[in-house]
Amino acid sequence: MPGYERAELTAELKVLLSGGDGSRAEIEAAKTAAGDTGLAHEAGPETMVLAGGRGEVLDAVTRVVGAALDAGAGGVELKIEAQGDAPRFGKQG
Amino acid sequence: MTTNVPTGAMPQSPPRVRPRAPVQRPGRVGEESARVDGVPKVRGEFEYSSDLWMDGMLHGATLRSPHPHAEIRRLDTSEAVEMAGVRAVLTHEDVPGRKVYGMEIPDQPVLAWERVRYQGEPVAVVAADHPETARRALEKIRVEYEVLDPVASAEEAMRDDAPKLHLSGNVLRRVKVLHGDPANAAADVSVSGEYEVGMQDQAFLGPESGLAVPDGQGGVDLHISTQWLHIDRDQVAESLGLAPEQVRLTLSGVGGAFGGREDLSMQIHSCMLALETGRPVRMVYNREESFYGHVHRHPCRMRFEHGATRDGKLAYVKADLVFDGGAYASSSNAVCLNAATFACGPYHVPNAEIESHMLYTNNPPCGAMRGFGAVQACFAHESQMDRLAEALGMDPVDLRLRNAIEPGMRFPFGQEVPHPAPVREILEKVRSIPMPEEQELAGRDLRELPGGVSNVTHGEDVRRGVGYAVGFKNIGFSAGFDDYSTARVTLSVEEGEPLARVHTAAAEVGQGLVTLQAQIARTELGVGRVAVEPADTRVGSAGSTSASRQSYVTGAAVKGACERVRERVFGRVREELGEEGPLTLDGDEVLSGRRFVAPLAEVLGDDEVEETAEYHHRETHPLDENGQGDAHLQFAFAAHRAVVEVDTELGLVRVVEIATSQDVGKVMNPQSLEGQIEGGIAQGLGLALLEEIQVKEGKVLNASFTDYLLPTILDMPRVRMEILELSDPEAPYGLKGVGEPPTISSTPAIVAALRDATGQPLTRIPVKPEQIAGISSKPPDEPPQPGSAGYAEIGRLDERREH
Repeated sequence: MPGYERAELTAELKVLLSGGDGSRAEIEAAKTAAGDTGLAHEAGPETMVLAGGRGEVLDAVTRVVGAALDAGAGGVELKIEAQGDAPRFGKQG
Repeated sequence: MTTNVPTGAMPQSPPRVRPRAPVQRPGRVGEESARVDGVPKVRGEFEYSSDLWMDGMLHGATLRSPHPHAEIRRLDTSEAVEMAGVRAVLTHEDVPGRKVYGMEIPDQPVLAWERVRYQGEPVAVVAADHPETARRALEKIRVEYEVLDPVASAEEAMRDDAPKLHLSGNVLRRVKVLHGDPANAAADVSVSGEYEVGMQDQAFLGPESGLAVPDGQGGVDLHISTQWLHIDRDQVAESLGLAPEQVRLTLSGVGGAFGGREDLSMQIHSCMLALETGRPVRMVYNREESFYGHVHRHPCRMRFEHGATRDGKLAYVKADLVFDGGAYASSSNAVCLNAATFACGPYHVPNAEIESHMLYTNNPPCGAMRGFGAVQACFAHESQMDRLAEALGMDPVDLRLRNAIEPGMRFPFGQEVPHPAPVREILEKVRSIPMPEEQELAGRDLRELPGGVSNVTHGEDVRRGVGYAVGFKNIGFSAGFDDYSTARVTLSVEEGEPLARVHTAAAEVGQGLVTLQAQIARTELGVGRVAVEPADTRVGSAGSTSASRQSYVTGAAVKGACERVRERVFGRVREELGEEGPLTLDGDEVLSGRRFVAPLAEVLGDDEVEETAEYHHRETHPLDENGQGDAHLQFAFAAHRAVVEVDTELGLVRVVEIATSQDVGKVMNPQSLEGQIEGGIAQGLGLALLEEIQVKEGKVLNASFTDYLLPTILDMPRVRMEILELSDPEAPYGLKGVGEPPTISSTPAIVAALRDATGQPLTRIPVKPEQIAGISSKPPDEPPQPGSAGYAEIGRLDERREH
């Protein structure tokens, strides 16, 4: 997504619940871990976005996915986008 | 599914016909040139976005949260869906793509799901056959909220025990500028002050509005009033789950912007409804909704300390600025950066320590507004300069002259001051403008007294005051962002005469850019007739109409495309007519020196010559961890002198005159320049005296133009201006952006004049009558009533008079 001072990399993580008991503990665990990275915003009821530099986002993704799985999540859908169309000097196509 | 029409239906109306570009006969660059949209606007014939219409279109409406902070426990649209005439009711579940958007940080829900973070946050949208049906359908949507205590100020948001409004906390950005050795800087005299700026609204007259038209193939055309078509398109496409080329935007008539249209309002909502129903959908906010539908100027609190030598040389500046960003980020990052880099003012400061903080709260989201970041900082640094002058026993203008920054010096953020930087010249110019004659108070026309026709004074207790201020701001986007622009220029013969067509995506928001583009084409191609095509996304991005940047960046792109077209014409003349000398175009003719070579129409024949050019300005860089770096592209400077008359007992003000001096590099169109300067001063006057969105516990109290006070023509003083044309060697024609500087330092000049008249400290803007009359340093939380503490404090009128 182009924009003014947009992040280099964004990762969208959607936590898949493991059971039908209505518990959202996996999501809460993932949200807490995401919040602790300092890069996170909510992006839907089960979804969060991590935005920042390449290294810090990739590192944060590992931690958030780990936290979700540790809490019993059935899986985590992950979409990573490089902000290639956000022109920076010397990098435009 | 929350719709009662078949999905994927073909549009019932043909695509909206693209409007034809009116043919202009503009003046050359530098000449007076009447605006092509001027007469239609005055006659009421101009088509604003709220006037858009298509047969068979539906009307959209938005359900908004009444609470600044709440959890959504239940959301039931079933009753609304069943209503006759309702075609779609959509919630967050219906957002096909990314559920959040944001220019810098994607943190704002398209439609809220579990939590709302500000009063007015969209929760659901409806499309119906009639606007009233849509409005009634909103009332049928049941939302169960669990209301939470709002985080009502930036200071509250900073507390350790404050609720986290976003996953990563409430601090949105922090910028620190460290320059020299402020901890050990010695000063003979120091002054400190705390300053506060209220939440100003852009107060554009045209409400947010747009028309979304499905193309029948899964894509959508959006006609919208905005400041930056391409960033809108990309955000809309992302939330719709579409490729950018499936979303086409065309600029419709914009009724003012001033930063308030840089962010999305109903863009995604209207497209979602159009795609859901298969029909065109128009959305138009009413005035109250408009206050909730766009970002505002950031309120802030600032603590400053200035130290100086006995002879008035600045030794250091220390400052802490805290901004309330509201619920979502919008362009807060840029505001935080600007405030930090401009906090010291256009002065040589050897040591500085500045911290600028941006916080999330449950107040209305804040973002771009004319002068963003520089406006707030300028009020504080200019108030401090007056305070310092008083402590030193110096004339305030002399103190400014003594410290005026000059080319070759370094700003506290490390960037070398480029040429021209005429701080000294504009201060001297503005001081040399003759003062307005002081008229007898008795017997004056009431309109020329504070309070005007309210007939509250006949001259008693009226005092005159004079104040000065100087400010500066970056032109264009900063910190490494390549805010390029694109222009396509076509030269051909139409109706027997050469005609240049200019096509960009640059938003004309009332500043006169369409006329300027035509002037540039006329100048570069020597043609009498120019047509500027409607701005849309069929051509490359022009970036945002903000940061006073379009004349510079899009002006350069248009100039570049014209130059390429011209070279192709010359190539043809050389090839076909054997001309070898230097050629020019003027008066629809090809010339060699002053010698006529050929009619341009004959050279072109039936051919079109078309060229597209991108303009990328020189590279800028992000600040480092100490806030140092070549962050900004261009700097524009202006100085103001305000003369006011104040009824010191009632706190009423008449601004008698504003004198200003501004370096504009090159006067491109004198009429437009005067309009920009006078309009900017009006907005500066509004912030000084009138304009504030009143927010209490996260709720807006004055969402109307009855209660949100705007200056009218009766409040506007005579403006006298001295314009400097010191060419910027890097800019097209040497021009500088002109839109923002008039707003930046006019406000502190007026407040300085009020202080001069009243002796009151006046540390908060807008200045209210109770501050001027010395009753209170800031507006009371509640209006005083008999028996209340406030009432006792104010006392009886005759008792106050004796003080």
